[in-house]
Amino acid sequence: MGALAGRLGERLGLARWRALPIGRRRQILAPVLLAIGLAFPFMTSNAGNVDAAANAYTYVLLALGLNIVVGFAGLLDLGYAAFFAIGAYGYGIVASGQLKPEWSSLWAPLEWAGQVSRLAVPGQPEIVQFHFSFWPMLAISAIICAIFGMLFGAPTLRLRGDYLAIVTLGFGEIVPVVARNWEGLTNGAQGLGGIHTPKLFGFDFGFSPYPYYFLGLGLVAAAVWVSIRLQESRLGRAWMAIREDELAAGAMGVNHVHYKLLAFAMGAAVGGLGGTFYVAKLTTATPDMFTFPVSVMVLVMVVLGGLGSIRGVVLAALFLAFLQSVILQELTEYVHALGRLVGSDFLQRVELITSLELIFGLILVVMMIFRREGLWPAVRRVSALTLEQQAAAPARGAAVELSWARPAPGAAAGRPLLEIESLRKSFGGVTAADDITLTVHAGELVSVIGPNGSGKTTLFNLITGLIAPEAGSIRLEGVEIGGRPSHEIVARGVARTFQNIRLFNNLSVLENLLVGEHTRLQAGVLGAIFRPPRVREEEERAVKSALEVVEIFGNRLRPRLDHPAYGLSYANRRRTEIGRAIMTRPKLLLLDEPAAGMNPAETLELMDLIRSLRGFGVTVVLIEHKLDVVMDISDRVIVLDHGVKIAEGAPAQVRGDERVIEAYLGRRRRAA
Amino acid sequence: MSTLDVLLQQVVNGLALGMMYALLALGFTMVYGIIELINFAHFSVFMTGTFVGLVVLSLMGVTATSQSLTGLALVGVLIALFLVTMAVTGLLGVLIERVCLRSLRNVSGTAPMITTIGVAFILINAMLLIWGPQAQRFPQLLPNWRWALGGAEVTFKQLVLFVVGLLLMIALSHLVRRTTLGKAMRATAQDADAARMMGIDVDRVIVLTFFLGSALAGAGSLFFGLYYGFTGYYIGYTTGLRAFTSAVLGGIGSIPGAVLGGLFIGLTQSLGGQLLGVKWTDVIIFSILITVMVFRPSGLLGARTPQKT
Repeated sequence: MGALAGRLGERLGLARWRALPIGRRRQILAPVLLAIGLAFPFMTSNAGNVDAAANAYTYVLLALGLNIVVGFAGLLDLGYAAFFAIGAYGYGIVASGQLKPEWSSLWAPLEWAGQVSRLAVPGQPEIVQFHFSFWPMLAISAIICAIFGMLFGAPTLRLRGDYLAIVTLGFGEIVPVVARNWEGLTNGAQGLGGIHTPKLFGFDFGFSPYPYYFLGLGLVAAAVWVSIRLQESRLGRAWMAIREDELAAGAMGVNHVHYKLLAFAMGAAVGGLGGTFYVAKLTTATPDMFTFPVSVMVLVMVVLGGLGSIRGVVLAALFLAFLQSVILQELTEYVHALGRLVGSDFLQRVELITSLELIFGLILVVMMIFRREGLWPAVRRVSALTLEQQAAAPARGAAVELSWARPAPGAAAGRPLLEIESLRKSFGGVTAADDITLTVHAGELVSVIGPNGSGKTTLFNLITGLIAPEAGSIRLEGVEIGGRPSHEIVARGVARTFQNIRLFNNLSVLENLLVGEHTRLQAGVLGAIFRPPRVREEEERAVKSALEVVEIFGNRLRPRLDHPAYGLSYANRRRTEIGRAIMTRPKLLLLDEPAAGMNPAETLELMDLIRSLRGFGVTVVLIEHKLDVVMDISDRVIVLDHGVKIAEGAPAQVRGDERVIEAYLGRRRRAA
Repeated sequence: MSTLDVLLQQVVNGLALGMMYALLALGFTMVYGIIELINFAHFSVFMTGTFVGLVVLSLMGVTATSQSLTGLALVGVLIALFLVTMAVTGLLGVLIERVCLRSLRNVSGTAPMITTIGVAFILINAMLLIWGPQAQRFPQLLPNWRWALGGAEVTFKQLVLFVVGLLLMIALSHLVRRTTLGKAMRATAQDADAARMMGIDVDRVIVLTFFLGSALAGAGSLFFGLYYGFTGYYIGYTTGLRAFTSAVLGGIGSIPGAVLGGLFIGLTQSLGGQLLGVKWTDVIIFSILITVMVFRPSGLLGARTPQKT
């Protein structure tokens, strides 16, 4: 069977297709898919099918919106239907006879714009009649939803995973309850009726499914396009970095508050488009259309297709919509026929459509247990390395250059880069940093050593803003950075690696490196979506810069650029992490035990590399336990013990220090 | 009735309701305490319990149209009803753990929670298929005795709910504090790996936790049936979310917290319904949920913060 499929694939040129670059494939696929989409209504004579397809496009929109939140940014939103509802009511309220305020001159501008009109009621004051146009409301609903997305998202920023899900679920519950109870605005449980249908240049969409089908197709195409553009931009990388490891993302300069809110806003905006489109087509809106099962249905679509996989999500949404509107109903008729045949009363009364949620439940359970990445996952498979590449001897580029390299300090040497004064931090009863004062000069290579628990990593965490100091100051080039958020400190030129390597595991090596470039790029939402020349150049520069950094590691990372980080060897993970930190263009690079777990040959290679960093004008502070290494490469060594700086000086000087020996080996018993 | 009497009456009602929420919240809290999982399937186990109760009662010849029982017959039927229903829902919890959650135990992130949402949907729709969409009448076993308490009154139903709930909680508290199993549970909650190295069968502890939590949900479901006199496939969600709010409010993972939270939510529901109108009850309760999550994620009595890093 597999062999047969393989041969068939070969016949159809599947291998050649796969070999095409992704951009080229898209150039071919997009018009083909669009043409199929446009031709569909003419291929079926049944208007019901077109109607079902238009509804299916609503689900695709919702699934694409939720995919931005859950798939890209990793924020599980269980109340997504709330935005569907807000988008729906946002248009429904102003495009139906629900509100009838008294006329006042305040309404005149809207009357002039043709969005409201005056209605004379005999014997009573004039009232305002709403008939807002669909097209501007489409945009306005999206904006309103984006604002609500940020409002609902803001409280969850400190929460992760399960708890975030629960809070979003709470909002998802509150919105339909408000829609049911705020009768003046929403007409309560009966819902809005008689919502106006869209008009375009005098053509009324009316109740025929065809215009809605084409509008839906256009919205889906736009949402797919926006999703792809976002995913492959600085924004998408920032979201995925947060999804993979929020802390490391912050240490690479990603402001998680900003990007999480942005994800909520973008996802909600797409949901709002879906809602507006759906009520315009249906011409009614009731609170029951937006309850928890709807949120779960959209989640099922995203999970089935694959979190973060745009093509997977679109296909899954289409399939589930098709299942609901066609497959289950046809099957029901077959079952009824079977029932008549065998004379079973039960079979004749079965309605499979009522089992839809049962199927959703089964899909969730089965997918989570057996295929969490979805049916058509986002991570592309990469070809294995050739034997030659695997067995290649480590080679370092002879003369690596970084285009942004600063002049190696000659005259500048001796200028203080990092000044720490009386720094203090304690955890419960343990003082991890006790009145530490030290200075690192530009161009230096300083090592921080000390026994386990002496406060070395705490010192790094304080410098990089992962924790705030209780007292004291940390100045970088004279500017206070103590207690600032990590992403700001990165932007000022401090980068770090972590003791227990924190890569973005499901991103490729190249993407990991590009996240490091985050603070040096500028693209915002519009830039990412429309990709003007400015942004395109910026992206090209970023990739070029990443390729330069890769050269520092010779042929170690070069053949593995497209490999996901989780599949790398330990040493290559370390290298990728160091590379990612270099990508931020640091003035000061903090390396936390970079040689841990490396064999002697790899350690030597790493030391060469660290030395070479000075050539780029990068000042290095190193935490390391391999003392031979430390003594060999450091200009200066700082020794910590129990949060106190107990010695500082040239390697030889520190090695002979009585207090250092005591700290490592214990107090020598003195003769009485 | 004076305003004060009305409020007193709502306090009595709220405490009885709160017992039901507390029993449900205990299941959430115990499972979370041990494997840090928010178990959405718990709602639906609770809902399924009401139908198990219906079946058990009909097997004993008690239907919605029967006379209410008294004396020894009543006590016997009640004991049998609680024991069998709790056993069945307990086993259902074990089944869910074994089939759906065990293979996901070491998967990080939200996958296990999404699975429990799936399980909840399966159970809810299975009950919908079996019993149909209409509400089922739940037999009113308990005689309609009532006593005056100041200007308010306490019904026999409320008294039974309160006493049975209290007994179950005392039993649970004894089990967790005084028995070897309880010690194993507390050790597993602290650090499953370390507990395993000390010779504790962690799988067994987890299964037993699911059993106990789900059995308590079964008891809670009987409270629902006896108190409201009906059940339906849809009852789990709202009640379950309120119970979940109780667990969060008390501090998820904390057993006394769950009881305290349950009583608080019961009172909020009855007093809030009285003061602001029943239709806003859910908005009040979910606002409490969100507020607690945001400002004090460790709840009233919880020590650990639910932030996973």
